[in-house]
Amino acid sequence: MQICYSAVKLSHNFEKHKSEVNSLEPIIEVRDLTKVFFSRGRKITAVNSVSFDVFKGEIFGMIGPNGAGKSTTYSMLTTLTKPTSGSIKVAGFDVEKEDNEIRPIIGIVPQKLSLYSDLTVRENLELICKLYSVPKKEMEERINYYLQLVGLEAHVDRFVGGFSGGMKQRLSVICAMMHDPQILFWDEPTTGLDPQTRKALWNLAIKFNVEGKTLIFTTHYMEEADNLCDRVAIMNLGKMVALDTPASLKEKSGGKNLEDVFIHLTGEQVRD
Amino acid sequence: MTITTELNHSWIIMIKEFKQLFRKKGRLVLMILFPIIMIIFFGYGMGGTINNASILIINDDTGTTSSSLVQEIGSHISKYDEDPMFSVTYTKDMSESEAESKIDAGLYKAILIIPQDYSDCVAKNGSTTLTLLTDSSDTTTSSIIINYMKQYLAKTGSIALKIPNIYGNLEYLDFLTPAVIALFVFLSSVSSTGSTIAGEREYGTIVRILMTPISKRSVIFGKTIYQLLVQLVRAIILILVARFTVGLNMNGSWPLLALVLVIFTFGGVGLGVIMSTMVDDMDSFSHFNLLVTLPSMFVTGVFYPLSSLPNWMRAIAYCIPLTYANNAMRIIMIKGQGLHAISNDLIILTLFAIVTFTLGVHLFRREA
Repeated sequence: MQICYSAVKLSHNFEKHKSEVNSLEPIIEVRDLTKVFFSRGRKITAVNSVSFDVFKGEIFGMIGPNGAGKSTTYSMLTTLTKPTSGSIKVAGFDVEKEDNEIRPIIGIVPQKLSLYSDLTVRENLELICKLYSVPKKEMEERINYYLQLVGLEAHVDRFVGGFSGGMKQRLSVICAMMHDPQILFWDEPTTGLDPQTRKALWNLAIKFNVEGKTLIFTTHYMEEADNLCDRVAIMNLGKMVALDTPASLKEKSGGKNLEDVFIHLTGEQVRD
Repeated sequence: MTITTELNHSWIIMIKEFKQLFRKKGRLVLMILFPIIMIIFFGYGMGGTINNASILIINDDTGTTSSSLVQEIGSHISKYDEDPMFSVTYTKDMSESEAESKIDAGLYKAILIIPQDYSDCVAKNGSTTLTLLTDSSDTTTSSIIINYMKQYLAKTGSIALKIPNIYGNLEYLDFLTPAVIALFVFLSSVSSTGSTIAGEREYGTIVRILMTPISKRSVIFGKTIYQLLVQLVRAIILILVARFTVGLNMNGSWPLLALVLVIFTFGGVGLGVIMSTMVDDMDSFSHFNLLVTLPSMFVTGVFYPLSSLPNWMRAIAYCIPLTYANNAMRIIMIKGQGLHAISNDLIILTLFAIVTFTLGVHLFRREA
C-alpha cells in the first residue's frame, strides 16, 4: 500500500494545527445523555447520564471495556439511535429533532465497514456521492483524489468482495469523506488490521484533522488513543469516568501509559 | 425534500439493486428456471377429491323423479372425505346463458340444468339430456364433477349429459400456471425484499445509506420499483415459455394482468419489509420467511383447488392475500374476463398493499 502524502510534513502540520486549536468552540454538546434498553424483561442502562463537549477541530477518543457504553454513545451521536433522555447537539442541531440537518455534515466509518461487496470500488463511491447529490464533475474529482490518497486507484473497477480487511477499511474511510463532512465518526478504525495499515490510517486521520475536520474515535487500542487524540473520554459501565488529555490522565493517575490509566479506572475484571 | 429528489434517490437505489442482481448469475437463472420446473413437474400429477363445491341445480322438471337425482347430488360424500361433495343451491327457470354468467362470476363451480320433461322421459324409458356447465378454469374440480355425474348417469342408462365447453379445452397446466406466477411474485417480493434488508442490516450497508440525506420512503420505494420490474418481466417470460412449450392459454388482458401483479408486488414488498424489521439478520429472516410463505403455498389453491381443502384450511386460505391473487390471475388468464370480474380480489389486494407498505415504511428503522 502506498499512501500518497508525506508523514513527516503531516506530523509537522499536525503539531502546528494543534497549537492553533485553542478556540474551545464546542461542535458537539452532550448533556445528561442516557440510553436504557429492555432485554428479556431486564432493564439495561447502557449510557447513564453522560455529559461532555467535543471541540471543533479536535480528535476526540472514546475508550472503555466491552459494554462500557461507547458504541451506544457513538450511535446516538450519529443519529442512529434515539436517546432515552438527555440531549445532544451537533453543530447546533438537536439529534432528535434536527437529525436531517446533522446527517449531511457528519461522516461515519462504521465498524462493520458497510460496503457493497458485489459493487466495484467506483460504484460504491458513486452511490454515496449520488445520494449526497454531489455534482458529477466534483464527484469524479473527489473519487480520483481520495482513491489516490489511500492507494486504491488501481483497484477502482474491482469488486469490493475480494478486498483485504485493510483495503476495505481504507475504502470505508473515503466513502465517509465523499460529501466533505465537518465531523468524522470512526468506530474502532483499526481493529484487526496490520501495523502498516494501522499507521497509514492514523496518518490519514491526522491529515483530515489538519484540514479542519473534527474526528471522534471509539477504540480499544490505548496506543491509538494516546498517539492520536487531543482528549480521551474513558467510559465504564455506562458512565464517563474520566475526560482529559492523554498526558493529564497519565499524570493524574501516575500511570506510565494510557493502558495503566485505563486499568486503574476501569479495573481488571474481564467484561462480557 | 422535493418529489424530484425523492424519485431521483429511488432511481439510484433501483439501479444499484439491478447491478447486484446481474452480478449473481446463478440466482438470476434459478429465478426463471425454478417456477418453470415446478409448472412442468406439478402439471402432470395432481388429482384428488373435492368437498362443498358450490353447485346450482336448475330444476325445471315438472314431475317428481328428479328429486332422487337432486337428493343424491346433495348428500353424496366421496370415499376419502367427511364433508358432502357439493354445497347445493336450487332454482328454476334460468336460461343457459344466464347460468353461464353465474359461472363466469365465480358463484358456482357447476350448474346442472334438469329439463322440463325429465320425469316423463324417465317414466317412459325415453331419452333426455341434462346440461352440466362447469367452471373449467378450475380444471381439477371441473373434471371431478364431470366424472361423478357421468358415473351416476351411467347407472340410469337413457339419460345423456351435455357438457358445453365454456372456456375451451383446458389442461391442469392452465389452472396451475396463473397461480404459480402469483405464488412466485409473492415468494420473491417477500423473501427478496426482506432478506435484502435483513442482509443490509447485518452487513451494515443500510447504515451508510441511511446516513445520507435519503428518506426511508425512498429506500423502500426504490426496492419496490426494482421488484415490480423483475416480477413483471419474469411473469411475461413464464407465460411465453408456457405458451410456446406446452400450449398454455392466455385469454385475458395483459395490462390487467400487470395491474394485479403490480398491486400484489407492492403488498409483498411491504410484507417483506415488515418481516425484516422483526429480525436482526438474514439467517433469522430465512426461517421466519419459511414460516410465513410455506403455508401460503399449500393452502391458497395454487396446486389444487380450494374446494379440495377441508373447511378449516379453506378459512385460513381466505385470510391469505395469495388466494385472491390466484383467483384474479385465473379469471384473467383462463376466463379472459375484465376488471369487473376481479374487482373483489383487487380491492382485497389493494388493501393488503396499502396496509403492508404503509406499515413497512413506518416500521423500517433508521436506527442501528
